[in-house]
Amino acid sequence: MKGLALILAVIFLVVAGSYWTGITPLGHHTKHGILFFILGVLCLVWMRFSNTETASSRR
Amino acid sequence: MTFAQAILLAILQGVSELFPVSSLGHAVLVPALLRWSIDRASPTFLAFIVVLHLGTAVALLIYYRREWYAIIRAMIGSIVRGKLSGEPSEHLGWLLVVGSVPVGILGVFLERAMRALLGAPITVAIFLTCNGFIMFLGEHLRNRQLAGGRTYKTLDEIGWREAVFVGFSQALALFPGISRSGSSIVAGLLVDLNHLQAARFAFLLATPIIGAAGLLEIPELFAPGVELTLVESIVGGILAAITAYLSVAFLERYFKTNDLRPFGWYSLAAGVACIVIFSTGVLK
Repeated sequence: MKGLALILAVIFLVVAGSYWTGITPLGHHTKHGILFFILGVLCLVWMRFSNTETASSRR
Repeated sequence: MTFAQAILLAILQGVSELFPVSSLGHAVLVPALLRWSIDRASPTFLAFIVVLHLGTAVALLIYYRREWYAIIRAMIGSIVRGKLSGEPSEHLGWLLVVGSVPVGILGVFLERAMRALLGAPITVAIFLTCNGFIMFLGEHLRNRQLAGGRTYKTLDEIGWREAVFVGFSQALALFPGISRSGSSIVAGLLVDLNHLQAARFAFLLATPIIGAAGLLEIPELFAPGVELTLVESIVGGILAAITAYLSVAFLERYFKTNDLRPFGWYSLAAGVACIVIFSTGVLK
């Protein structure tokens, strides 16, 4: 789960960046960029929760 | 847009955003019925709608300030710990996040297109009629569930699947004429919340969505061609906030003992009347 959360976070943040900069075929859309940035941050939060779960299950 | 029109629109927005009767539907139908020559795509109108959304979001934040303070504190605590504690405010906070994601994604990608495609008064009137049927269907299904032995749950007892379901139901409001709060209250009833808990969850869920809709559109306020005066903006925003605050206070009391059927009847009657008026060309 931790790996999946990290992969999704990276994808969302990259998509957010490309929407903001407009350097990809996605074009320049500030709102879309903000949406993907929020999704990326939420995936990082998910990863944070998965981290603790993994650590406590190892103990 | 005249000053009187701005005031009426602000009051209409504040009331209809939270009453399950569709604010967007009323923002289309009332000007059409009163034969106002407002260009809904004009920079001035869009900027004014931003102000009204911000006013409504502020009212909701003020009304539920204690809940939001507890939710944000609990959520930050859980992130710092990296662990969910199951504390009610924390649980509710994450349910709101999970519930906001579907409508956030669909809203960003589809809202403009849906409005442009389905924003004609006759189409909106048809969807307002559908909104009435949704209210009745929700009540009917809920009564059947109760008759089948299902019992009410509290917000602490619903899980993320139910929150996603309620969140998705808000997307129905992308059809102008269907109420966001109405569809999410119906969805709340279907996941076994009572009317009050379903309404409270719908209003809390609406706060970040309405606030984000306002905040993300702030650039519209400074777009070229905006002729919105400072007085219009301030008066409009304050009026929307006051009426939204009074509406949520009323609905919190109303849903303690009442259901959605009166709003269903209103939507049906107003929707059918508008369909007749617009299809027969009475107002042309």
